[in-house]
Amino acid sequence: MNLAHLHLLLNHWPIIGTFVGVALLLVSVLARSNDIKHVSYGLFALLAVGTIPVYFSGNAAAEATKNLNFSMVLVETHEGAALLAFISLLLTGLFALVELWRFTRNGQEPPLTSLSRGLSAVLILSILTAVLMVVAGTTGGDIHHAEILAAGETSPAIATIGAGLLQSIRYFVIDYSRWVWPVLEDLHFIGLILIMGTVGLLNVRVLGFLKKLPVRPVHRLLPWGIAGLVINVITGVLFFIGMPGFYVFNAIFQAKILTILFAAGNLLLFYCTGVFRKWDQVGPGEDAPIFAKLVAASSLLLWLAVIVLGRYIPVGEQ
Amino acid sequence: MEIPRVFQTIEESGFSTWVRDSPFWAIISIHAIGMAALVGASTVIALRLLGFAPDLPLAPLERLYRFIWSGFWIQVVTGILLLIGYPTKSLTNWDFYLKLTLIALGMIVMHLLRKRVFSDPSMSEADMMIKGRALAMWSLLFWLAVVTSGRMLAYTYTNITYPS
Repeated sequence: MNLAHLHLLLNHWPIIGTFVGVALLLVSVLARSNDIKHVSYGLFALLAVGTIPVYFSGNAAAEATKNLNFSMVLVETHEGAALLAFISLLLTGLFALVELWRFTRNGQEPPLTSLSRGLSAVLILSILTAVLMVVAGTTGGDIHHAEILAAGETSPAIATIGAGLLQSIRYFVIDYSRWVWPVLEDLHFIGLILIMGTVGLLNVRVLGFLKKLPVRPVHRLLPWGIAGLVINVITGVLFFIGMPGFYVFNAIFQAKILTILFAAGNLLLFYCTGVFRKWDQVGPGEDAPIFAKLVAASSLLLWLAVIVLGRYIPVGEQ
Repeated sequence: MEIPRVFQTIEESGFSTWVRDSPFWAIISIHAIGMAALVGASTVIALRLLGFAPDLPLAPLERLYRFIWSGFWIQVVTGILLLIGYPTKSLTNWDFYLKLTLIALGMIVMHLLRKRVFSDPSMSEADMMIKGRALAMWSLLFWLAVVTSGRMLAYTYTNITYPS
């Protein structure tokens, strides 16, 4: 199996997942169920991170079509539509994650009598994502199934906008100024520090260092970690769009993305299961339950591995 | 300006060649982890002193100085190794001296914070925040500048090794 296969294997997941997520969210509003709502939020957060390899491996699939007589116009149209769907899903996942954090901070929520601001944001973004996913899916399907294209059919306007955006981003990252790349690198390191300072501190406390700290208030720092994550996803995607050929076949880069998926999965395990609600109550001087320690230790190791793999990316080129 | 010959001597030594060969990426990875410990822990203290996460008790955060100092020494050791590997690259770049100065300023601010804010257990959290406010802002500013000047080392050098 190569990366092009991976793209074909994974690319249906964000589309179907988005529809399932929207459906769950609508059901949660009608049924007034916070549990279903949180499952939907968790799904969107997971889909957002999970779409990163789908988007990235698309470049390998495009590369594979180059030697065949597929229409490059169709490929570019799909790339544009996919970029917009990807950005929209990332935003949906971010808002969902923030809502989950707000819930774990307060521990309780008012009953769903009306649409809260956060819920409305996730709902609107997820519906937008679903629409964009349909465009990305159909334009992608057209590449290999030109027979479905009606005669004289033109590419959807949204896809054209996306393709233009992709070109502008590539120009900005690579050609606009030689200082854009260094500044993005600097921001990527600052994001790293924010993630490690907050998620790392929480992990280290749960593992039993800084025992005088109660666990719950450490959680209040997590928005800084989420900010770091947002900075690093944005700058990381910009690096990739700037030089896709450098990254897409790089084994160490691929390992880094996989490790980020595991680290994000770990974070969601901690948000969406009862684990947090247990270690939440750990007061000053108290020991966290063993399962919480395991989650914290694996989280710490995964994020350290992400740093090391990131630094080794140039080696993967050799 | 003439580049001192001693840089060439260092680069031709067996140890310097060894650093450039295999362990270079490992050293630079540990240098990134040391940065995360040193700057991450300093940032948490600074953010708390500036009023974020107000229900996080302040006094126990002194324990973070363990991470600050171990991070600092990791940076000193890995930094010296990297310097032995690429003396010309660093020492002919003004940005390198700027970075060292900023690190010194950052560590001085962290030391002052510990002395003025964390040394007196009878001090109330409100007093700690008043006393630490300005220093906390300086610390964030200096660490941001340290990271930026460090990252720019990869883009501002003129010679990666001694010119032949």
